[in-house]
Amino acid sequence: MSVVVNKDSVYVLNHCARSLSRDNADARHNYGQFDAQDPRSSIAECWRFPIIDSYRNPDDGSGQDLNLVTFVCVNRAAALGDAVAVIGSFSSLIKPTPLQQVEDSDYWAVSFAVPKGQTHYYKFVAGGRVMPDPINPQRVRRPDGSEWSRFFTEYCTDYLVLEGWEARLLERLTDHILPFRTTEGQRWLDYYYQSLDKTGREAQFSVAYRLDQPIGAASFIDKLLARREQHRLIDYRICLELCYQVLQCWVPDKDPLTLPKEEYKALYELMTDDRPGAIAGWDYRRYSSPRFFLQLLRRHAFTGAFAHPKHGGNVGAAGWQFLAHNLTDPATSRLPLQHASKMPAGYFDWARALEPPLGRNREYRG
Amino acid sequence: MASAAEFDIVIIGSGGGGAPIAHTLVGAGKSVLVIEKGPLFRTQSDDPMGLSDYKRDELISDGPEKVLTVPGLTNTGASFYTSHIEPDLNDEPHVYRDADGGDYATIEGYTCQCVGGGTQHYGGVSLRFAPLDFKLRSFNEGRRDLRQEVSADVVAEMRDWPLDYGAMEPWYCKAEKLVGINGTRQNQLKPASEDNYQTPLDPNPISKFAFDGMTALKMAPYRTPQAVITQDHAPSGRKVGAFADPNFVGGPKTGYVNRYGDPLDYKSSAWIALLRPIFHEPNLTLWPNTVVTHLEADGPKVTKLHLRDASGRGSTVSGKVVIVACSAIESVRLLMLSGESDPAFAQRLNGNGLLGRYFLTHCFGGASTIMPGRHDKSVTIDSDWATDFCASEKFIRDNGLWAGGAIYNNTSDQALPISLGRTHGATDLDTLWHAFNNDFGAVGDKFLDFLNTQFGRRLSVSFMANQLPQRDNRIELHDRVRDKWGRRVAYIIKRWHAHDEYLMMTLAAKCRDILAFGGDGGQGKYPVEGYGGVFMSENSLARIANHILGGARFGTNPADSVLDINCRAWNFDNLYVTDGAFMPTSGGANPTLTIQANAFRVGDHLATSGLV
Repeated sequence: MSVVVNKDSVYVLNHCARSLSRDNADARHNYGQFDAQDPRSSIAECWRFPIIDSYRNPDDGSGQDLNLVTFVCVNRAAALGDAVAVIGSFSSLIKPTPLQQVEDSDYWAVSFAVPKGQTHYYKFVAGGRVMPDPINPQRVRRPDGSEWSRFFTEYCTDYLVLEGWEARLLERLTDHILPFRTTEGQRWLDYYYQSLDKTGREAQFSVAYRLDQPIGAASFIDKLLARREQHRLIDYRICLELCYQVLQCWVPDKDPLTLPKEEYKALYELMTDDRPGAIAGWDYRRYSSPRFFLQLLRRHAFTGAFAHPKHGGNVGAAGWQFLAHNLTDPATSRLPLQHASKMPAGYFDWARALEPPLGRNREYRG
Repeated sequence: MASAAEFDIVIIGSGGGGAPIAHTLVGAGKSVLVIEKGPLFRTQSDDPMGLSDYKRDELISDGPEKVLTVPGLTNTGASFYTSHIEPDLNDEPHVYRDADGGDYATIEGYTCQCVGGGTQHYGGVSLRFAPLDFKLRSFNEGRRDLRQEVSADVVAEMRDWPLDYGAMEPWYCKAEKLVGINGTRQNQLKPASEDNYQTPLDPNPISKFAFDGMTALKMAPYRTPQAVITQDHAPSGRKVGAFADPNFVGGPKTGYVNRYGDPLDYKSSAWIALLRPIFHEPNLTLWPNTVVTHLEADGPKVTKLHLRDASGRGSTVSGKVVIVACSAIESVRLLMLSGESDPAFAQRLNGNGLLGRYFLTHCFGGASTIMPGRHDKSVTIDSDWATDFCASEKFIRDNGLWAGGAIYNNTSDQALPISLGRTHGATDLDTLWHAFNNDFGAVGDKFLDFLNTQFGRRLSVSFMANQLPQRDNRIELHDRVRDKWGRRVAYIIKRWHAHDEYLMMTLAAKCRDILAFGGDGGQGKYPVEGYGGVFMSENSLARIANHILGGARFGTNPADSVLDINCRAWNFDNLYVTDGAFMPTSGGANPTLTIQANAFRVGDHLATSGLV
């Protein structure tokens, strides 16, 4: 069960003023992810709540496997009553943990240390009522039909918003874009993950083996669509479905997800052409610009392969290692010799800036 | 939070213009309140848990996509990307009028809402202005070797600063000492009575091309002064790690410097260097997460500041002296908003119509190209070599220019992979990701080709130069768009003069020459992909920067300036403006050190003025 952590008031208020402090309720922050009347449209970056951050035990320095999760509730003029609490799968679904008022502000908060790599559901309890978090846009419907709020911690590689087939299809598309499924790239990637396992690196890196797409770009995109760029989920829902339909139309008797990469290459290339009818089987009334979706996909794929692994992609820092060790020496257009002792960290020593166990920096704690 | 409490000094803004004043006056025993709109983000050593609010994570700086929803703008519906300490444009846009007369929202590069302001985010380049920068009117009046577009009426718009370089010099020394800056003095055209620099660290290997180019062209180089400490810094009580030891993995060269707050104590932000050391003094009060909505005055005396706290609750506070230092556009805006509901205030402040006028940025641009070899650009601060060649009087006269600027190389640009993707082919913060997203052919093997061509290979050399002051370049209040508090937002109208464009091309050509000569061992034939100035937008491969200055210039004549020589609003007893808004010309260098030096100067004046 996750433990309650004391976090000082300045920390909480630092996150609140920008998002929650305002005079008007204009729906300035709705890019299509909310219904017109949703009050979250007037909150800047409501996806930041609950706040997911690093955790460290100040007494013994432990805690790299945990995240600090801070729940914030707005209780202006005690509209929610004088007691607000939280129940959730990370602590107890029965016994609520109280939030505390932050100084004399309108904000009530409580922080927990929750393991990395997890997904949880929760609700607030106030005035005898149980309700989802009014600010966090992540919602999930439980098997009993009830609606709960959701959060996930860092290094989560579960698929949260994409269905299984959507995730597989997205993996095929991002595989086409990224350089890791070329013959050379695939060989390098296999070698890298094998070497990770052999050195007995931290358990989280072995997650790579469980993903069908080791670099995890699709996993990153799923997390991005679940939280920071929720407004783009609809683009993926529609376009992945249209891609599936197009592939079915082209090769009627086969599962699109098992088609060879040449079909995905052909699909990608046709999607750059926005003329209606350019892609046989694409329903332009549902999504008029496949090209726009490709632009989105390119940005997301790039970011997923090379962003910090805590965001769900670049698993085991493989993307960064690829940059370090799989780029050529421009003088020879060949890979530098492996045993070149002058540059043991290759062309990108990402580990020297980051904290253990991911990196080897002695000062920075993450 | 107290209501209507009385402080000796109330300072609005905790960045380069406000923190030095707080530092000086707290030391002089005065009661000082610093109000900061943004959060107090902490380094590891400030934090009770020992973790910083700043992270080495590209997605902190390169935030998620948002969409502009402010209605009725030219770029309504456009994507934008902010970090967590830049304002959300939909809540607090700055609106610019573009060349076609349409209004569009944008982000300046270094506006930063947090304790320490822009100094948390910047790369730390801490150049002095040149002596000539202080007297550009005297220098240019009657000149016969000026280009023709710098006609007499253009010269008539220039102003000397009310004090010269020599008068500012002691405060440059003070700022350099107290902030904590590394660099080298030799070959600078800016004389210094003290050398307070710390020793620079080894340059990134890619910078050798810039050094070689400068040397081949006899553009005497010096190590770029940057606000990053490399040795223990006694004035701020900071100690550096043992990174001289080859087994120690640490130090400031991480690549996460420009556009990132530092989780450690290396970057000399205004918080780390100037405010944190005095944070526990009983006479300093700091209110982060608090916005000042407007000022209230009674005749020549500012009597109250109206505030909203982190919950949005309103209150007021007063001080014997009020300092406005929340970055030029926001400071001018705050003063205009205060005048909106109080015509007497507006008249007193802006009777001569100069508030908001002579808004300035910098002539900025440079050259960039792929160099021989591949280098780990992440082992860097932000810049290694600079030259004042284009700040010399000879260069200025030889080229018919009105003023000059500094040149320096950049190392951290595109050092990290996401920054490569998003800035590839981008010319400003409004064209991020564009080139990569549309390079549809870069997939698989071709994506690898892209990485092989671009990663760890690009070197850019930039210039930072004076921009011509023009009366019609100005800050106003937008008539329609309002922020999340219902206040009118800033509206910036600005155009480049033809001479600005000529100056930028001239200096950009020098940057190109540095790369052309540096890349092939001094022959001058190395191919340079692109060079130009910010005015060129789509055609330029210039790096991104934008400094906001002017709008409340200081001077000796109340009919011709907004502030007096001590940055006091002429017709007020107790109102001062000490961010970059005070500058009548923008200087031939990054402005932060000059803003800090001037703020120290004003602080010393206030300490002995008898006002408090």
